[in-house]
Amino acid sequence: MNAMSVNWILALPEITLALAGLVILVFGVLQRPGKGIGACTVLSIAAFVGCAVLVALSPDGAAYAGTFVNDSFARFMKILVLLGGLVALLLTVSYRTDERAPLPFETAVLILFSTVGAMIMASSANLMTLFVGLELSSLSIYILAALERDDVLSSEAGLKYFVLGSLASGLLLYGMSLVYGYAGTMEYSGLIAAIQQTTALPVGLMVGLVFLVVGLCFKLSVVPFHMWTPDVYQGAPTPVTAYMAGAPKFATFALLLRVMSGPFGAMAPRWQILIETLSILSMVYGALAAIPQTNIKRLMAYSSIGHMGYALMGLAAASTNGVRATLVYLAAYLVMNAGVFAVITAMRRKGREVTSLADLSGLGRTDPGLAAALAVFMFSMVGAPPLAGFFGKLMVFAAAWQSGLYVLVGIGALSSVIGAYYYLRVVKVMYFDASAERLDQPARSLVFVSGSMGLATVFFVLALGPLMALARQAALALGG
Amino acid sequence: MQTDLHLFAAAILLPLAGAVVAGLGGRLMGDTLAKAVTLLCMGAATVCGIGALWGGWTSGFGPYAVPLADWVNAGGFHATWTLRFDTLSVTMSAMVLCVSLLVHCYSVGYMSHETMPVYRFFAYLSLFTFAMLMLVSSSDLIQLFFGWEGVGLASYLLIGYWYDRPAATAAAIKAFVVNRVADLFFIVGIGLIYVLFHSVRYDEIFAAVPQAAGAFYTLFGHSFPMLEVICFLLFIGAMGKSAQLFLHTWLPDAMEGPTPVSALIHAATMVTAGVFLMARMSPLLEVAPNTRLFIIFIGATTCFFAATVGMVQPDIKRTIAYSTCSQLGYMFAAVGVGAYQVAIFHLTTHAFFKALLFLGAGSVIHAMHDEQNMFRMGGLWKKLPLTYGVMWIGSLALAGVFPFAGYWSKDAILNALWAADGRMSHYAWMLGVITAFLTAFYSWRLLFLVFHRAPADVQKRDAAHESPLFMSVPLVLLAIGAVVSGLVLAPYYIGAQQSAFWQGSIFNAPGNTIMETFEQVPGVVALLPSLVALVGIALAFLFYIASPGLPEALARSCGPVYRFLLNKWYFDELYEHIFVKPYAAIARFLWKDGEEGAVEGLPRDLVRATASGAVDAVRLQTGSIALYAFTMLAGLVVVLTVALCG
Amino acid sequence: MPSVLGDYAPVLVFGAISVVIAAAMLGMALVCGQQKPYPEKVTAYECGFEAFDDARRRFDVRFYLVAILFIIFDLEVAFLFPWAVSLSRIGLFGFLSMLGFLSVLGIGFLYEWRKGALDWD
Repeated sequence: MNAMSVNWILALPEITLALAGLVILVFGVLQRPGKGIGACTVLSIAAFVGCAVLVALSPDGAAYAGTFVNDSFARFMKILVLLGGLVALLLTVSYRTDERAPLPFETAVLILFSTVGAMIMASSANLMTLFVGLELSSLSIYILAALERDDVLSSEAGLKYFVLGSLASGLLLYGMSLVYGYAGTMEYSGLIAAIQQTTALPVGLMVGLVFLVVGLCFKLSVVPFHMWTPDVYQGAPTPVTAYMAGAPKFATFALLLRVMSGPFGAMAPRWQILIETLSILSMVYGALAAIPQTNIKRLMAYSSIGHMGYALMGLAAASTNGVRATLVYLAAYLVMNAGVFAVITAMRRKGREVTSLADLSGLGRTDPGLAAALAVFMFSMVGAPPLAGFFGKLMVFAAAWQSGLYVLVGIGALSSVIGAYYYLRVVKVMYFDASAERLDQPARSLVFVSGSMGLATVFFVLALGPLMALARQAALALGG
Repeated sequence: MQTDLHLFAAAILLPLAGAVVAGLGGRLMGDTLAKAVTLLCMGAATVCGIGALWGGWTSGFGPYAVPLADWVNAGGFHATWTLRFDTLSVTMSAMVLCVSLLVHCYSVGYMSHETMPVYRFFAYLSLFTFAMLMLVSSSDLIQLFFGWEGVGLASYLLIGYWYDRPAATAAAIKAFVVNRVADLFFIVGIGLIYVLFHSVRYDEIFAAVPQAAGAFYTLFGHSFPMLEVICFLLFIGAMGKSAQLFLHTWLPDAMEGPTPVSALIHAATMVTAGVFLMARMSPLLEVAPNTRLFIIFIGATTCFFAATVGMVQPDIKRTIAYSTCSQLGYMFAAVGVGAYQVAIFHLTTHAFFKALLFLGAGSVIHAMHDEQNMFRMGGLWKKLPLTYGVMWIGSLALAGVFPFAGYWSKDAILNALWAADGRMSHYAWMLGVITAFLTAFYSWRLLFLVFHRAPADVQKRDAAHESPLFMSVPLVLLAIGAVVSGLVLAPYYIGAQQSAFWQGSIFNAPGNTIMETFEQVPGVVALLPSLVALVGIALAFLFYIASPGLPEALARSCGPVYRFLLNKWYFDELYEHIFVKPYAAIARFLWKDGEEGAVEGLPRDLVRATASGAVDAVRLQTGSIALYAFTMLAGLVVVLTVALCG
Repeated sequence: MPSVLGDYAPVLVFGAISVVIAAAMLGMALVCGQQKPYPEKVTAYECGFEAFDDARRRFDVRFYLVAILFIIFDLEVAFLFPWAVSLSRIGLFGFLSMLGFLSVLGIGFLYEWRKGALDWD
């Protein structure tokens, strides 16, 4: 190994972001306690924007002795991840705990590091890189979840996520070791060769794959590895929840798509049923369990469980079209999910955060703008045309249908109908229930985020052409 | 010429304007203004209509087309809203407008005791007039059907005008439903016409009749001449609207509406729409001889049936309603022998005297404070001299006594039936003569019971008073019509000048010479109807003046016959058992088991299952981290099994 | 197979030697030392806690903080050993890599110092 084969330029966005994180950390810690938080956030936002530019400009290729790869798929996912992180950062700007204190400056740094991890996941070409990226991302989120140390729910969320996350990491590692044991390599390219050479697939390899998938599915909060989601979503500070519902999911999906269609692509007929099962479980459970919820953050937890199920449909299709559909679905999900969390962050009464569904009563009269935005997001989540969610759903359904997964499509449609109930209930509460006490005037940053995401949801169709072209390119890069 | 067409269009559109203004603005403008608006519109429309008639009279009836608007333009189907200006439509319009104006005027007096606002009533009346005018002035079958349904709607609204009376709403529904049954046949007939001729325009259909004469229609393995089938279907439509036997049951019940409505809709105009349709479709009927036989049969039988039932009814309005039904039967019998002009002539004279009778009856009812049972009246002739007089005139016209209007038209029909010289027409002639006798009998029964017999309630009799001016003026005008219309119109409608008058708007096939020959009947035959009418009057005098105990004794001695007649030949009971009850049972089944059980129940149960499933699903979420971890591992096992065995 | 076991023979030797040394140290102390036992002195040393007590007792979280910080730096330092051994072969790039790693570690140290994690009070 020499300096030349390292090919630094490929990882330049990650390196830049990581260095920026270190700089901001030093800057922040040198301030007096409670000062410089705003500066840290602004610097982080700048770092994100710069990093996004670097990602867009980064060339294709492999680096670090084949453990790191950059292609259009990685770029697509990194942009999604960066956008997700950026939105979460914007939400932290105005966020205050119930003691009127802002989140500490480490929030920005942790989100930043977590995003670095997520980007590494998107670029992994080796099971080791996968694990390192995943852990960097996860460890940061464990801390983020427990940021409000004095809040019981928040501490509980952090602890639960940490314990269960460790369990998942263990499963993942065990799966990786099994794969390594049976294939003799951890590099994706090596795995492809090893699997193609074997005539009879060893059971151990399959078991390893299942463990690997399970580990990743934990991060995606796919049923039955979803149990942490409602508690953690509810307990974590809202901007952190917004982050958790976005960037790490995209990165994990990037991993899953890359691993399943790359190294294990040849085994597709074997794992299709597995993904299909997980998809069905998530869609149905997400739709059902959300119905009795009264807390909007918990509701969104089940909503994200359901959405991951739909996104998995594209993977279950095991085709280029399927991958493309999943990518478009994730893009749509990013937009509407960020919008919903912006609205939830704006839900405050007399300075205190309120998250009960009943607190939205009559919002249509007391704050028509915010209510309209939330209504748009809810309709989009349902999948009503011509909003963003509709196109995502349409594409994954179409991809699954083309692959002959009719049962999956049927159950997906059914659970969409059930899901519509609880999404539309939010709209009903806002517009038809007796007005609750007014919410506080939302901060400008939140108005900006919810407004821009609302416009993006409504006019998603305008960007659909280029987006689909990019997604197609990314999917082709993956399929090879 | 152009002026006439404009007048004609105005005559047809003005009632619509009145209906819209009074109907939509009535609540704001109040009753008085609404009445004034509708009366004014009707007056103007009548002037226009008579102007158009005069114009046509002096400078020819065309036929001309008055295009108003495009209507349907879909694919190969094109329908416009075009008025047809020919003798038939213009004379019918003028008749409708005259009667309608008088009824409007009469209603101002008649409805003055209402506690509720009555602008709705006048709006409906005007709406009805517009729909009727649309019907008669149509230039294609789609327009005709629009008017046809429009009058049905207005009839429904007016029968059920007193919506707080259960009987009225039930009658309204009955009228609507029975008419729908007939309309189904009608619209299928229109459909077949479109299939055969690829057009619904009269001009195009009539021009193409000769080419279509050989077409056949195959159903269930049998072939029928297409035109026969079409005419048959159209006639069933006409039967419903004109209350012919089997589809007549709605008409007596329709008397639940206010009396002016009965006069306008259920005597003078709407119920004659079936006869009008037959006359309008004369070019088709001329090539459907078998259907015409059927028409004669139904017409004659209805004529007789209704008269027998009319003899024993205690209700003054129902008696006149059965009389209407009976007279319509005459008209259809005339249509059946090809004497369409005669049918239209009787239609026109009948409009005058039947409206007169109804309005007279209304005047009696008004005076007796909504009492309709004739047996509770009596001795009114001194209190209501004007009404008494016009009722006499109307009855004389109805019975066909020279020189009143009915004499000219009814005798012409009976002569035509005789002259047609067929087995069916002789059957019809026989029934027609018997009916003439019965008609005279029940008419004078009515007169004697209401005006002469000892009053059942003297106080009520003494409290009765003659109607106000608004009501008496129409009565007088209609009475004049009932006296002179036959004499004046006979030469043009059926006499020597008929073919010059109709100018081809009613078609007689070259072989159909009935219009030339119907006068040439033996003297006995021509005199017989008048003779039996006089006998009928005498018998009524005997029964109800000379020996008042006789009817009761007769009713007792011929109990079954009496009950059979009183119960209107048990048609209602029959239909109740054949149609209404099974239908209600099916409907109940569909409602209770189909709708509430399956259609509503299935989603309801699904929702319940979903909701309870949701609660169960959340029950897993206990918050215990150990359980969470266990679930993960259990899930792992499941997933592993699926992956390895799936 | 025998050759594989043979490779582990030095471990066996190391094991034997350590047993001998440990036994010698403890034995010498027992034989040559002056014995003045009392209960406090003979209990096992447990970082200042009672040796036998309720396990679910509250105690100062700072113990853990120190322990965790120690373990982190301890582990990271463990990376230095292979690096030091192979320094001659990995060249300048290898040397700089470790410097980079150490500087990241240094930033972490700076952070915990500034945060006061190292102050006991």
